[in-house]
Amino acid sequence: MQSANMLLRRIVRSSVLPFPTQHGIKKDLFPLSRTLSLSLCLKQDKSCEPSEKLDLDEWKKVMKSGLQEEVSEIVSEPKELSSLAAARETLEMWRLAGRAVPENMSEEQLKTFMECPSKSAKKKYLKYLHLKELYKKNDKRKMDEKRERRLEAQDQDSKTDETKKSPFVCLWSRTMDKAYNWRAAQSMIFGQPLVFDMSYEKEMSVREVTNTVRQIVMSESSNRRSVDPFHIHFCNFKDDSLYHREFIKNYREAWDKLLITVTDQCYTEIFPKDKLIYLTADSPKVMKAFDHDKIYIVGSMVDKSIKRGVSLARAKRLGLETAALPLDKYLLWSTGAKNLTLDQMMHILLTLKDTADWKKALEFVPKRKYCDFVNKPVKELKRTLDLISTLKLGKGREKGEKQFARNYPKR
Amino acid sequence: VQPPEKPLQAEEWDKLKEDFQSPEIFEEVMLNSMIRCNSPIDVAKSLLTHLAKRNGDVAYNMLVKYLTLCVQQGQVSEICDVYDIMKARFKILESGAYSLLIRGLSNSNQWRMALTVLEEVKKIMIPSRTCYESCIKAASRHQEMKLAFELYSEMLAKDVVPTLHILQSFFDFSRGVKGAELQKELFGVLLYLRENQIYPHRTFMQSIKLWFESLPGGNWRGRLTKIRDSGQCPVCNHQLEDSNLTEEEYSHLSERIIKDVIHGTDTFRKTTPEELEAFQTFVENRLPFDIVIDGLNVSHIKSRKMQCENLFDAVNCLAKENARLLVLGRKHMLTNSSNWKREMMKEMQSKADFFFAENISEDDPFLLYATLRSGKHCRFVSRDFLRDHKACLSDSLTRHLFRKWQRGHQIVKMFSLCFSLQPAFRYDCVVQTTGDTWHIPYKDVFEEKYSYQIPRKWLCVHQK
Repeated sequence: MQSANMLLRRIVRSSVLPFPTQHGIKKDLFPLSRTLSLSLCLKQDKSCEPSEKLDLDEWKKVMKSGLQEEVSEIVSEPKELSSLAAARETLEMWRLAGRAVPENMSEEQLKTFMECPSKSAKKKYLKYLHLKELYKKNDKRKMDEKRERRLEAQDQDSKTDETKKSPFVCLWSRTMDKAYNWRAAQSMIFGQPLVFDMSYEKEMSVREVTNTVRQIVMSESSNRRSVDPFHIHFCNFKDDSLYHREFIKNYREAWDKLLITVTDQCYTEIFPKDKLIYLTADSPKVMKAFDHDKIYIVGSMVDKSIKRGVSLARAKRLGLETAALPLDKYLLWSTGAKNLTLDQMMHILLTLKDTADWKKALEFVPKRKYCDFVNKPVKELKRTLDLISTLKLGKGREKGEKQFARNYPKR
Repeated sequence: VQPPEKPLQAEEWDKLKEDFQSPEIFEEVMLNSMIRCNSPIDVAKSLLTHLAKRNGDVAYNMLVKYLTLCVQQGQVSEICDVYDIMKARFKILESGAYSLLIRGLSNSNQWRMALTVLEEVKKIMIPSRTCYESCIKAASRHQEMKLAFELYSEMLAKDVVPTLHILQSFFDFSRGVKGAELQKELFGVLLYLRENQIYPHRTFMQSIKLWFESLPGGNWRGRLTKIRDSGQCPVCNHQLEDSNLTEEEYSHLSERIIKDVIHGTDTFRKTTPEELEAFQTFVENRLPFDIVIDGLNVSHIKSRKMQCENLFDAVNCLAKENARLLVLGRKHMLTNSSNWKREMMKEMQSKADFFFAENISEDDPFLLYATLRSGKHCRFVSRDFLRDHKACLSDSLTRHLFRKWQRGHQIVKMFSLCFSLQPAFRYDCVVQTTGDTWHIPYKDVFEEKYSYQIPRKWLCVHQK
């Protein structure tokens, strides 16, 4: 290692000489110029004996010496920065300090950043961008690796030069698409309607709307791939709303060719009221079985800030029947909110429609949210739970208070 | 990793780095552990020197870490050196480095430099409360009270909430100093505590007490005490402010309750317009009530008794005193079931007015409305802390009003056999003054209590 270092230094030393001519140009690009200090490093190199006394403030000299010229240059720059440039500068410093800050930010993102109302909102937004950037980089890396591998494989293939015979032309994805579209078209004529209520834009932040649309796109694709798809309706859909713009971002030109019904009418105007059932986790009624004659409504809403009862209020206003999934009946719930994502809802409804098997359908509830399926009949389970609670509470007042304190901890 | 005890040579650092499992972050980890172990700065210097020699540069985060170590050990000249280097190297710094610099400099005789750093921070962002804290403390430590209060009012103007340490330092460092202006400022601090319903902790309270007693010629005397339930101070026999809201506050609060809590963004979320209207006419026809009871909440007081019985006991107990009662419940209480017996419900309905909301409506907002509508004398019975309803209120001022009103009007007697008609507090628990007396409630510990709990201990300061 030591010798390798020395070798490296020698190489650097020899290449330092031509540098000073380029120096001026380079510095504009890299304000933290390193070339100058390299020469210092050389001086040190000569006198570096193991027994020599250490000069502890050496690093300060190094840091300061690299600056002499730069200072004079900075002076010539305009002193007052625009607020955007200042923000960029701050971000750069945060990045140097090792905080979660993206390397590149567009003008638009910078503006959003500056409009964040609080310090923590700013931090959150930066972290989000940072992670997004990391994912993107990772994906790109993986793609490149994959391409390389494919090229290698092609090289080998061309060497072997052997074509396989097959009775089918290899057009899998296109034929599959055709078949799916055929089914979806059929569902538009004969299928059971399923309504997405698109009237929650006001309740959501931009991020939430984006997430909502992504979830709907996923549900639409799983619906298309199912054996017996629903006829999907987007109701209360306003043209040029945030939803609309997001959908176009996701689907591009395919948006106009989707085999679904999009309308700005309300579901109550299209369907008879007594056939509608609004699915919401807040509903006091629990769904017993999937009804093939009813029209189920799902609220297109991602609710990160737990606004309770928003969709229930909507159903109440229109006087519709509501229902919640029987999660407690079939699952021993452990953590998490009972509202599921839209694609999970879609999977569950599709499975119910095909099989009417609750256990199979509720497999789509995320595993982290429940411990197990309820095997015993519910009544029995409830009885044991009641027994446990009476035993706990029956022991007297202190116990009850302790229980209370545990349920409402200090912070 | 264990940092070395003595400064090392470049070769020795290289060797250590080689042995370390992930060499890319060796320096970072090493400096971090130096900060943790509070190693001598010479060791850190030798590492930086090694870094500078190898790379010709020391990265910003390394500088910040080194700065942390210097601040930790109060090495003022080093802090100044690092500041010079940073200033020359970077156009601006980030908040972490700035607050370290301010903290480091303000504790030294170079404290005025901390102020210039603060000025620099202000150009880029709003300084944090701890930055202000360091500067204000430094200024008051050097008896520059005017400057300290300027900074204080500046941070208030920027909506930065002052730490209790700041407020305490004002009292600590003005002890024995005469000056009408200064005295006014400090009374202002006490009024700030009052307006924001902040309770000082024990050491802070001691500072206040000592300051009062040190006022030359003021003849102030401070005593620790507990206030009687009647609201009278046992030391000076002064009657504390009562917990009633003023007319204006009262109407403001009931307005906000209807607007923010009952209606909110959508009336259908908690009730329906028809139900709300029915309830309002119901209440208006029967006003005023003396006590409003949260039926469902009360019915769960004793888990071994039938829910109906619990409510029955409560109603009987309260009806004896000839009070006009209103019980709020839900419709399911009317259907005969194992927990709700029809005969008992009938009997109760002869003793009290009942309003049954829909099963999916919330009854608490109705409770609040009916109580507020009945007037100042009316109280309500519930064990609920009503935190979620408080949270619906839009601004902190109204939330304070709500808390104050709740303290004076909620009856919470959990396990006693009978409800007493005493509300929790007759007097208002805030810092208060009459000019020649001050009454200051304080907490024993620094830690914040539950928002519904209020201190029972008081500092009584009066003039002899």
